Amino acid sequence: MSVDSVPANREFAKQIEITFPLLSDFKRTVVKAYGVFNEEQGFGNRATFLIDKEGIIQRIDEGNVAIDPTTIVDACNVLHRKKTSP
Amino acid sequence: MLKRFLISMVAVTVLTVTALAQQPTPPKTNLKVGDPAPDFTLRATDGKTYKLSDFKGKKNVVLAIYVLAFTGG
Repeated sequence: MSVDSVPANREFAKQIEITFPLLSDFKRTVVKAYGVFNEEQGFGNRATFLIDKEGIIQRIDEGNVAIDPTTIVDACNVLHRKKTSP
Repeated sequence: MLKRFLISMVAVTVLTVTALAQQPTPPKTNLKVGDPAPDFTLRATDGKTYKLSDFKGKKNVVLAIYVLAFTGG
């Protein structure tokens, strides 16, 4: 998700050849709700939120930590195993 | 000679520290682990609209916010 428009994200997705959809927060409402809106620059700061099936935040990575997806993927797998095991 | 070198080293250190201190710190989220994730409805590149609460009881969600399209971030 970014604050780019849908057409801009579509072009970006085409350029970097990704197949999953990108969300557009053009009105900046979500970046504000999640407290990552950078008012000076007008965009959302880099961050990753892991939200469980109950809608509860289980992990937050902000800034450069959020570039590497490995940690959040690991956390996601842990969460998945925890919730699916009897 | 050594004294002059040391003085210049101190000056470089002071300048570096000052430069680092002047970098604006990006705002940190006020949300914490354990908080309910604020719900949202957003349009996506596939033409569909996605609502976070639609995944409730079904899937874990990773919400990855990247700075801007066409950048490395």
